[in-house]
Amino acid sequence: MRLFARSGAFVAALLVVGYGLLTTRATGEGPWLIVMAAAAVLLLISFWPSIPRGTPQFERAVIRCTVLFLVGFMVVAIQLVRLQVVDSTVILAKSGIASDGTLIANPRQAIEEAKTIRGRILAADGQVIAGTTVNPDGSWVRTYGDPAATYLAGFYSPLLYGKSGLENTFDAYLTGQKGGNPATQWLDGVLHRTKRGYDLTLSINLNLQKQAQQLLGTQQGAIVVMNAKTGAIVAMASSPAYDPSQLQAAPGPNSNQEVAKAKAYWSTVSQQTNSPLLLRPIQGLYAPGSIFKTVTASAAIETGVAQPSTAYRDEGSLAIDGRVIPEQNRPDPNRVNYTLSEAFGWSLNVVYAQVGLQLGATRLAQYAQRFGIGGPIPFDLPVAVSQLDATPSFLSTQNALADTSFGQGQLLVTPLQMAMVADAVANGGRMMVPYLVQRISSYTGQTLQETQPQVWKSAISAQTATEVQTMMVQSVQQGWAKDAAIPGYVVGGKTGTAETGTPQPHAWFIGFAGKQAPEYVVAVIVEHGGEGTKVALPMGRAMLQAALALPTP
Amino acid sequence: MSAVLRRFRFTEFQLLVVPSLMAIVGLLTVFLVRAGQVNWTWRDIWVSLAYMVLIFGISVWLSVSGFRGDQVLFPIVATLAGIGLLVTQRLQEVFVQRGGAWTQLAQRQLIYLAAGIVLFWAMMTFIRQLDWLRRYKYTWAFAGLGLMAVTLVFGQVQNGARQWLSLGFVTIQPDEILKVILVVFLAAYLDEYKDLMATPYRLGPLRLPPIPYLLPMVFMWLLAVATVVRQNNLGTALLLFGIFLAVLYMATGRLLYVVVGLAAFVVAVYLASHLFGRVEVRVVDWLNPWSDPGGTGFQQIQSDFAMASGGLLGAGLGHGYPQYIPVVETDYVFAVIGEELGLLGTIGVLLLYSVLVGRGFLIALRAEPGFVRLLAAGLSTILALQTLIILGGVLRLIPLTGVTLPFISAGGSSLLTNFVIVALLMRASDPGWRRT
Repeated sequence: MRLFARSGAFVAALLVVGYGLLTTRATGEGPWLIVMAAAAVLLLISFWPSIPRGTPQFERAVIRCTVLFLVGFMVVAIQLVRLQVVDSTVILAKSGIASDGTLIANPRQAIEEAKTIRGRILAADGQVIAGTTVNPDGSWVRTYGDPAATYLAGFYSPLLYGKSGLENTFDAYLTGQKGGNPATQWLDGVLHRTKRGYDLTLSINLNLQKQAQQLLGTQQGAIVVMNAKTGAIVAMASSPAYDPSQLQAAPGPNSNQEVAKAKAYWSTVSQQTNSPLLLRPIQGLYAPGSIFKTVTASAAIETGVAQPSTAYRDEGSLAIDGRVIPEQNRPDPNRVNYTLSEAFGWSLNVVYAQVGLQLGATRLAQYAQRFGIGGPIPFDLPVAVSQLDATPSFLSTQNALADTSFGQGQLLVTPLQMAMVADAVANGGRMMVPYLVQRISSYTGQTLQETQPQVWKSAISAQTATEVQTMMVQSVQQGWAKDAAIPGYVVGGKTGTAETGTPQPHAWFIGFAGKQAPEYVVAVIVEHGGEGTKVALPMGRAMLQAALALPTP
Repeated sequence: MSAVLRRFRFTEFQLLVVPSLMAIVGLLTVFLVRAGQVNWTWRDIWVSLAYMVLIFGISVWLSVSGFRGDQVLFPIVATLAGIGLLVTQRLQEVFVQRGGAWTQLAQRQLIYLAAGIVLFWAMMTFIRQLDWLRRYKYTWAFAGLGLMAVTLVFGQVQNGARQWLSLGFVTIQPDEILKVILVVFLAAYLDEYKDLMATPYRLGPLRLPPIPYLLPMVFMWLLAVATVVRQNNLGTALLLFGIFLAVLYMATGRLLYVVVGLAAFVVAVYLASHLFGRVEVRVVDWLNPWSDPGGTGFQQIQSDFAMASGGLLGAGLGHGYPQYIPVVETDYVFAVIGEELGLLGTIGVLLLYSVLVGRGFLIALRAEPGFVRLLAAGLSTILALQTLIILGGVLRLIPLTGVTLPFISAGGSSLLTNFVIVALLMRASDPGWRRT
């Protein structure tokens, strides 16, 4: 009976401690101390000595005191297990602000990180985007290449603002914590060898990236150029951009100057109204305008609502529920009959409003979702989620449905999302997983991992894709996108002019080009740039032409 | 010759291999890590070699002098003191960074350690009986009271607590000596009055404990409260009062007295904490050090970081960052062990203390009945309570109160007193009384 009570108390003590370890992590010390008190009492019960009768009183007392103190040591041991192993990550992650404003946090991580020589971030041809210069004393600083691409690497500012961009998402590789042989890593740690992080080689072509940056110039906007077959991003420009070299603040001999410089620069860029810190190709959300007709047309053709040759009437305006949708895009004011394909090329809102009404909200939403709108895009950097509508019941009215069908309404998309739409059309209906990091390798050049092209998902059937592709090509041959043509290549495109309520609309262009079949896709936005045809299209054409001149890998 | 061999302390001699190897390997590690290379000279480890010679010398001397007491106690103490030696040598660069009087701390600590071992040797050699301690109990009591009074009046304040006494060339911490005096006096006093235990004292309808209990009880309570209030030192008060209650319990077997005494102490401390801010601050730091991360909670937070970064195996001796913990060498010395030796190291140290305490109580059980038994039990209680109070405080199980970690924390008074405790325990373990 006594044995039963003892083992019961011991098991109960273990359970109480286990429960405490699992539940009190975030809730602080009070509940945990109660758990420890309960565990101490239970341990005392289970270890309480049964002393034979007749034992002198002094010996009884000494034995009991011994057990009491040893249980005390057990409680200390339990607390050690908690503080050193079970909750160690939680404790190390804590930080706070002292009354004088300084940050109180675990200083070890930054020091250890400063000891590890950080991996470099390179362009496709090996040119340095963010490099590491090692000083004679073993300390190192981040050095940067051409400013047209450095913001893709992100800033490295562990003392002040942390890390952003690839510096953040690939931090474990750049610091050498992830990847490689765990046994070797453990040995390196035990022997306290100088640790080196892994290098990232991007799919970015530095020349194309520079060209994209120059094309945008002082205007606000973004350009994405992607390999249609692989998903490799060859250029991803954001304008205006910031200079991550100004934000570097890491432990080292120059850390005081760095901190002062970074603080000054941060206060400038973070307050600028044109948001240089925003990585527009993946974080900018814009109304798409007419380029969204690609999605509407794909949905209509795949669901059988219409064929490219289906005829529609456009009489210069369309009244829905008493509201009039004007038509400004007709090439000839006297012509009223257009096929779906011609209406795509001439970007006729009145026709696509009718197509949208035929489709209905459910099917339009379904196809938007199949193209990835409303969900996360798998990428090496966090991508903002594009949206079809902001309020669930928005599409239930006919006017909203009509507006959305030609790219207005509550639609908000990222430039990368629209490049993915172009990719689906160019690539037989399949969207590839986009990627920036082509290869991860050791500082000696040994490849650790190489990114393999992967299909993300199938948006539309191959047949629909071919038909929409033909429509986009015809839009260049015989439509508003005719300036996108590149002699000797198949080029397809769609321009967009998205009304935003401000005097100047957003100028959009999405397109693809290739020798026989599409090889590269492009998405261009110029914020408040004016008409897509005049502003975004020339940039898109230039980028496609430059991409086609690249040697095929 | 065969007589010498027969009484040779083989167990002790063999066990001393552990602290010897630990001291040599550990010290070499400390110096090589600091230098960042693997070339070493004998000069790097002469301290450890000297330590090794000292402890083996003591063991051989004990054999030669025919001492037949406990053989486990000394190797454990030598290991703990060896860890203390390693930690202070490891912290030398931290002391040097701080500059001023700190730069000499590591060297001073070596002198204290040598002095402690010599004191241990002297006590084992020249004190063959413990009975004289019992006979002069009132002398000890008055000496202790005098020491306390002098500290209360002339004591220097450090870290907010008035617990240092300057003798010109050296500062001592009277509390350390006081706790031994308290145990000696209590053991002698309670042993003397054991016959009066059975006679309760009647005050009208109330049955009070006999006067021989009541008097020291009230007196000790006053003493503890005075320590808290005047010295602003909750740790020592807790330690002294805890020792008193434990010895009282072991002498009488009356749990009720302990409960009443404990309740009275808690009430007094509660009142004191509301009257004097320092204790209250400590309670806040205990429950949530992050409420003032840059001020009063800073030390605890840095200690938590050190402990947590140690993990299971630790960063390795010399590879941690103890410089971020203010005054790391006393209260928070355990955090250095936690960071550099990991959970395995801290549990190992904890086991050493457990065996030390267990061995001490075992000695008490086997010792000569009467005064010596109580003395041994009381001395073991000092080691147990002091270790629990400081570790519980550092690990946030109880509010932090400044007492030293026996044999490991820096400080001469503490180290010497602990060697005195161990010498008395060793002497108490001498089975000589069974023969007569």
